[in-house]
Amino acid sequence: MTEIIQVLVLGLLLGGVYALMASGLTLLFGVMRIVNLAHAAFIIVAAYIAFYAFDLFQIDPLISVLITMPVMFVLGLAVYLPLFPRIESSARYTEMTVLMTFGLALVMEGLLGFFFTGIFRSTRPPYATDAILWADLFIPTGQLLATGVSALLLIGLWLFLRYTRTGTAVRATMQNRTSAQIVGVNVRRISAISFGLGMALAGASGSLLSYLFPFFPAQHWRWVALLLALIVLGGLGSLKGAVIGAVSLAVASAFVTNQLGPDWSPMTFYLALFIILLVRPQGLFGKALRI
Amino acid sequence: MALLEIDDVTAGYGVGPDILTGISLEVNAGRSYCIVGPNGAGKSTLLKVVCGILHPRSGEVRLNGIRVSGLRPDQLLAEGICFVPQEQSLFPEMTVRENLVMGAFLVRDRAVVNERMVRVFELFPLLKDRVSQLAGTLSGGEQQMVVLGRALMVDPKVLMIDEPSLGLAPIVADQIFATIQGFSALGITVILVEQNARRGLESTEWGIVLDLGTKRFEGPAEGILDDPRIRELYLGAALSKGDDE
Repeated sequence: MTEIIQVLVLGLLLGGVYALMASGLTLLFGVMRIVNLAHAAFIIVAAYIAFYAFDLFQIDPLISVLITMPVMFVLGLAVYLPLFPRIESSARYTEMTVLMTFGLALVMEGLLGFFFTGIFRSTRPPYATDAILWADLFIPTGQLLATGVSALLLIGLWLFLRYTRTGTAVRATMQNRTSAQIVGVNVRRISAISFGLGMALAGASGSLLSYLFPFFPAQHWRWVALLLALIVLGGLGSLKGAVIGAVSLAVASAFVTNQLGPDWSPMTFYLALFIILLVRPQGLFGKALRI
Repeated sequence: MALLEIDDVTAGYGVGPDILTGISLEVNAGRSYCIVGPNGAGKSTLLKVVCGILHPRSGEVRLNGIRVSGLRPDQLLAEGICFVPQEQSLFPEMTVRENLVMGAFLVRDRAVVNERMVRVFELFPLLKDRVSQLAGTLSGGEQQMVVLGRALMVDPKVLMIDEPSLGLAPIVADQIFATIQGFSALGITVILVEQNARRGLESTEWGIVLDLGTKRFEGPAEGILDDPRIRELYLGAALSKGDDE
């Protein structure tokens, strides 16, 4: 019994971080119909920022969230504004964004490799290897803190979307883009803000990833594949779905690791992806798509 | 001077052909208009141009003599030009109240928003009982009421409505048309596009016949219904369709 609870706890602790990573990706799709294959590459960029902030200035990765979020917000706008609005009116916009972000990911990977080399990096704050023993349960401190920060940020995102004027406009644009335009939402501005916001979430994810998982430039492919599985399970464009998809798959993979060994853990995500596409292609909380 | 002038406008979608092929129209304040014509005549496209969702390829749209074509939809809305599209246009995961509040998105004064909401509930008392229901769960007629109510939240000068009776039961459609007729009394200029030409013309004052992207005829609405030549040339299918119901 303790073992089951132990595995459950480890899964939940990973799930919070996965949810944060997936939330940005699903936000971009929900508001703008952008499938951002470069999302994890942006997370890795943020992880490098966090790494150098720690290495050169001893800034704790949990604190560097305050740096990576605004920096990635601005970087996001710098990437979004020249590239995306010009193709926005295309009937094949979503498909075009897949190709464009694929290219973007390759370019970013190349640049990261050029500047930061391909060796594994990782920040090492004191709590990264600590653990709390509580009622026979082993709780890694680093993961607990990361999930706590993720939960805070996701709650902040929810409050922003629910209670601010801009947030309401973002929700309206997600639900019906034309109607949002009709009631006076400047959807171009909302799209740009949402892209920046998605990148800021990627930024925070990068700071947390920097001490949870060793990283190197080309590793973003593995992460983006995993994130896509999470948001397809939850339903593309649904934030609630992204969180539930992330937490449930993290728990599932923890159990697979426990039963079959860590080699089988990545398989969990792709198997889930496979099954969900066969059984319920729109995902748990997605609407049947009209692309 | 006319409130709204459409001056030799051509427009189309993407790289496709011109749907509007040089149309000119004048719309006067406080009147109600119905645009009729066969499928593909460019009726909906005209409304989309006027509200700024689609920009004209040539020609221009003027409001009170000032050029407004080229502005964004939110800017045109601030000028009082409001569009109700024919496709499902509510925010399905928001409540009726949230949808109405979204209608007044450009109004920052809470008191004004509440005032307008009271007016909407006077026109659509049924919506008052549904304020907390998600819009996506309403019936077709109720949804159309929320759509029209949301448009009133804008307090528009010009209200353009595309096919309000689409997919509604005849009785429900009658209610919607009666409501639209009442809009003139509120000082709103109504431009209606309606597939069911008879119903549309009966509930408006002035009729405009469109075909192949340009204006073929305009005149008092009842005159169009009675003119056998226009009926035969442009409205044959549309009128008989109305008669079937």
